[in-house]
Amino acid sequence: MEASLYQSLIIGLMVGAASGAIGSFVILKRMALVGDAMSHIALPGIALALLYGVDPFFGVLAFLVGAAVLVWWLEGRTKLAPDALVGLLFTSSLAIGILAIPNAELLESLFGEFPALSPPAFFLIIGAAFLLIVATFALTKRFLLAVVSPELAHVTNKRSDNLILFLIFAFVVALGIKLVGTLLMGALTIIPASIAKNSTKSMKTFIVGSAVIGGAVSVGGVLIARTYGFIPGPTIILLGAGCFVLSLGLRRS
Amino acid sequence: MEKENILEVKNLTVVLDGETLLKDITFSVVEGEALSIIGPNGAGKTLLFRALLGFIPYKGEITWRDGVKIGYVPQKFLVERSTPITVREFFLLHSKHFWAPEKSFVGHLSHELSLVGLSKEILGKPMGEISGGQLQRVLVSWALIDHPDVLLFDEPTAGIDVGGEETIYTIMHKIQDEWGTTILQISHDLNMVYRYTPKVLCINKKMICNGAPQDVLSPKELSKIYGGSAFYHHIDS
Repeated sequence: MEASLYQSLIIGLMVGAASGAIGSFVILKRMALVGDAMSHIALPGIALALLYGVDPFFGVLAFLVGAAVLVWWLEGRTKLAPDALVGLLFTSSLAIGILAIPNAELLESLFGEFPALSPPAFFLIIGAAFLLIVATFALTKRFLLAVVSPELAHVTNKRSDNLILFLIFAFVVALGIKLVGTLLMGALTIIPASIAKNSTKSMKTFIVGSAVIGGAVSVGGVLIARTYGFIPGPTIILLGAGCFVLSLGLRRS
Repeated sequence: MEKENILEVKNLTVVLDGETLLKDITFSVVEGEALSIIGPNGAGKTLLFRALLGFIPYKGEITWRDGVKIGYVPQKFLVERSTPITVREFFLLHSKHFWAPEKSFVGHLSHELSLVGLSKEILGKPMGEISGGQLQRVLVSWALIDHPDVLLFDEPTAGIDVGGEETIYTIMHKIQDEWGTTILQISHDLNMVYRYTPKVLCINKKMICNGAPQDVLSPKELSKIYGGSAFYHHIDS
């Protein structure tokens, strides 16, 4: 059953904004690819959840939290290039997921759908997205310090800040995966921030802009998909990519 | 009144990846004192700072006075030019609230900036677009904003124009006098070492000398630190 337009738009707005907000830090940390690959690990989580008859959301969440801790632990602790390691690990998990998930569920897992939700589930998603946005904004100062100067951050902050950042990212991805799917969720965190970065030189406008663009692109994508009968996930991402191209024109040298 | 030690380092040894990068460094710093650390490139000066700040594992003892507040000016500050952050926002990382900073903090900023010879107009500029000299002053100001008990300067003159150098040392001297701040500075400029710091520590992976510059920086010692082709500035006064 398809969700009502009204429901889809609100979910798109909130989850898109949460992705945009945390995505600004993923971009600042230059971890766009790691974040993208990380979202692939959701797939085996979906497979396991389906196998045991649990709601896939919890399978996704468990695997992503595990992935977040792993990325955090690997950061600066291994001599292997973390990008390569993460890419290998998480794309293999994508491969496992593709083999393990029944065909009927596969397309939906990869590219998402906007399912009809019961009111409690709907409010849970909206509430969680809202909390994640609030958490991202509340922790901005700490995240930023760790990004701008790890050395200066070390004097005042703790290493755990990075873990919190990855965990917020994991939760946002878990929320978004139902909507745009495992393959595209990483892109939903990266695109709004990339657009915002092209258009501003101040951190506050960058983060707020990224959240606003994330929400706007998702809402726009849902509307276009609904009008033309497209799958919403890819539509959202393509709309975002289009806006990114336009933002290149805005970029001041 | 006798001042107590704010920092004591005993037999500090740093081994990274099986290589001994610092060996048996022992020195102490009295509260309010200024100490220069000199040595050739790769001598482990920055590494020593990193150990003092607890960034890297070490053997031996590093004892800071209880509750000491440390300000740190790093040698390098790697902000990508494209990173969207203004100088004001960089300072806001020091305020309690990033999104809605207290008025008093913002008012305080222009005063703090004037201490390092910057005008408040710089606050609106992106960090990636200010000059190397301005960036250094911003970093110094940033480290000073909490009025730390100890300031660690890593090569404070790197990237600063000749006119600017003087001012950075004057500022350091001024805050040391006014606030009683203890200063540890890594320096390449022996002239400044003679003029501004009563004590110098020379290292080249191990400790070479420790004492007043006039006493320990003989040409012989200098050639031991820097190798045969040593340069040194002689101060007649």
